[in-house]
Amino acid sequence: MSDNKKSFKKNRIYVVFFALVIALVFSVLITTAATMLKPLQQQNMALDKKTNLLEAAGLVPEDRKPSPEEIKQIYDTHIREVHADPRGQILETPAGNSLQLYLIHTDQQVQGYIVPISSRGLWGKIHGYLAFEQDGETVAGFSVYSHSETPGLGGEIESNWFQDNFKGKKILNASNQLVSVGIAKGKVENLPDKLQDHYVDGISGATLTGRYLSEGLEETLTKYETVSIIFRQKKGSQTNVETILDE
Amino acid sequence: MHTNLSHYKEILIKGIWRENPVAYQVLGICSALAVTVKMSTAVVMSIALSLVAAFSGLIISSLRHWIPSNIRIIVELTVIASLVIVTDQILKAYLYDISKQLSIFVGLIITNCIILGRAEAFAMANNPADSFVDGLANGLGYSMILLAVAFLRELLGSGQFFGFSVIPQFLYDMGFQDMGIMVLAPGAFFIIGLLVWLKNSLPGVSHEKK
Repeated sequence: MSDNKKSFKKNRIYVVFFALVIALVFSVLITTAATMLKPLQQQNMALDKKTNLLEAAGLVPEDRKPSPEEIKQIYDTHIREVHADPRGQILETPAGNSLQLYLIHTDQQVQGYIVPISSRGLWGKIHGYLAFEQDGETVAGFSVYSHSETPGLGGEIESNWFQDNFKGKKILNASNQLVSVGIAKGKVENLPDKLQDHYVDGISGATLTGRYLSEGLEETLTKYETVSIIFRQKKGSQTNVETILDE
Repeated sequence: MHTNLSHYKEILIKGIWRENPVAYQVLGICSALAVTVKMSTAVVMSIALSLVAAFSGLIISSLRHWIPSNIRIIVELTVIASLVIVTDQILKAYLYDISKQLSIFVGLIITNCIILGRAEAFAMANNPADSFVDGLANGLGYSMILLAVAFLRELLGSGQFFGFSVIPQFLYDMGFQDMGIMVLAPGAFFIIGLLVWLKNSLPGVSHEKK
């Protein structure tokens, strides 16, 4: 019996056949699981993006976890997805090489805007949002919804202490030039005074993540500079969402 | 029935304690370093790994009479990888936040030596029920170390337990500081080393013949 078994297991055709069957069975298993769970996963991802958008805008209560319905409701009343053409004009629908951004509004009065961030990280892309106040130079918040950084090290870009750092930073220097906002190596308080407004505390053990994210932020902000200029020109004045879209 | 039960108990004790995969076999160190910064990630990782170890043992052992020996490693890996991918998909669907924090480490269960090691050393030579229990036991043994390391690292490194601050403020006022090194990989090395030392110096567990 055992000799028999040995011989059929050595048969090449049997080996190939066995490999094929195994491959087929397990690919069906994976495909089924992936297809069946896809709707749930997409829901999670969409909700996660919205939550992060709201976090960047500072519209999410920090002491508790809001329910999915709450997120959706806040999103619908305060956020409007718009696009901007290369001259910085805000459009309702995407056109040519327009840039995507989000307006933050309360009762249709524009409070600020949110720019999607897509930056290189140490292990993969970092995706997040950077929110600005309506003056077009003060950072209102920062959040990350997808990254592959090392948990506990670069992964700390997800944590509240890191993201809270961005609030109130300026992307313009004293002579109104774009300097972006960067991640310092170590604590901001050790930097020269005139740089403190443009840097946030770094993460120890994640120097490279910080460097790549700084580069990514600068790149994005340079691209969105035309939009920011539009907001800077309106400095202080109340603007209605519809008027911005009409101009 | 009684002999059966004590037989499973034997396998469990062996996997969890006497031949603990991390502390005795020194396997699975990579993820033990990586996901032990916080308790919450360590718990989910432990559950995921234990389930994958148990079910891969079960499946591989059920197939062991039909698996051609010259492609057995490939077959074992196919089984393990499929289970891991399914686990990852389930986590993404039901525990999205945690799955984001675990990121690549769930996927890396595939290359975790504990699972392939148990498949090769145990499941290929024993019956499905035993293999299931053996996989579970080794998963739990791994979990035990993982949770102990995560507990110490989260407590000493961030002063927290499951994300709640547990170190009273007056200690910080008196000058206590979180140990930064505990958040980094070397901290895990020290703790795992100390745990292995502690476990193997307990009376009656040392395997070294003196």
